[in-house]
Amino acid sequence: MIETLLIMWRESLEAALIVGILLTYLARSGERAGMRYVWAGALGAVVAAVAMGLASNGAAARLGPDAQELLQAGVLLLAVGVLSWMVVWMHRNARQMGGDLRRRADRALATGRLVGLAAIAFVAVFREGVEAVLFLWGVVVQRADASAPVLLAAGVAGAGLAVATAWLFFRGFAFLNLQTFFRVTGILLLLVAAGLLTAGVNKLIGLGYLSPIKPQVWNTAWLLREDSLLGALLGALIGYRSRPSLLEVLAFLAYLPAMGWALHRADLAARGAAEQAPARSAA
Amino acid sequence: MRPPRLLLAALLFALAATVRAEERSVALAVAEHGFAPPEIEAAAGERLRLEVTNQTAAAIEFESFELNRERVVPPGQTVAVYVSGLSPGRYEFFDDFHQERRGALVVK
Repeated sequence: MIETLLIMWRESLEAALIVGILLTYLARSGERAGMRYVWAGALGAVVAAVAMGLASNGAAARLGPDAQELLQAGVLLLAVGVLSWMVVWMHRNARQMGGDLRRRADRALATGRLVGLAAIAFVAVFREGVEAVLFLWGVVVQRADASAPVLLAAGVAGAGLAVATAWLFFRGFAFLNLQTFFRVTGILLLLVAAGLLTAGVNKLIGLGYLSPIKPQVWNTAWLLREDSLLGALLGALIGYRSRPSLLEVLAFLAYLPAMGWALHRADLAARGAAEQAPARSAA
Repeated sequence: MRPPRLLLAALLFALAATVRAEERSVALAVAEHGFAPPEIEAAAGERLRLEVTNQTAAAIEFESFELNRERVVPPGQTVAVYVSGLSPGRYEFFDDFHQERRGALVVK
């Protein structure tokens, strides 16, 4: 029972953390509409994952498991793109609005961004949701006796525990002042995106499409194991692996300066707009 | 937004340019009692295609920290897991959903 709970905790943690960081950010910036979209994306993904998990359990799965894995890799890379775009927008947002909370709440988010938020939440939850459903279904199949409901409850409790973990984690962010908060969540989101990118690359390597170049660049298992609490947390949040391949490390490292450049450009654009604004009001 | 796109393009290029080295397929079944065979041998640097078949009635997750691989396998299905370029050593794997099932890839 404890094992079922722990497995579900681990399977749900990444989704809970990603949805958690989005909700925390939006709550703090007063973007209520955005929060609704994130919830809609997450809840929609739960429903879709249950449907998909049950469907792929039967032999009736349309796509073979390897095709599904390839699709997952593609969706992950797409999610990295959407998330990167959101981070640039959030960065500009935080910069332009200063501390004026009321104006922030009044301003509606563009539909495209709302859909982007919903999409990220959907991908994060769906990805893990399908695996969680497959696992729980297996638990039920294996124990066709009275213990099945108990184990099922333990599994659901594990998912709840993951949500609680994410909630506790982001509770800590409430103590940061607004400026630090935006900076910290921005950096965290970038690391999350880099982690998703390496996860996508890892899938493509496992499927034989990419070469790892060198399978094990280093081994930090002596320092932090994936199955420890902190290792699981970092694995879920930023894609920590104790023995990454060279290609994964390169993908992670290449992503950050690329985004740094994109954010710098956003800064320049924002400064340009700020210089034009007084000129306009003077005219 | 250009750099991520550039990165994506570079990745796709790497994908297309990946040299398909000689590979050897190895069947790895997961039964109720565990992996069959429980141990696989391979030569250093060899490119292996592990064909992991789940013969049980419940989903399994083929996982290995040493190999940096993780795949859920629905009941009755087979997935391909590639590993390549490994140095000599013992690489353990397990079923994350039933952790008493364990096996290892021994590279010589």
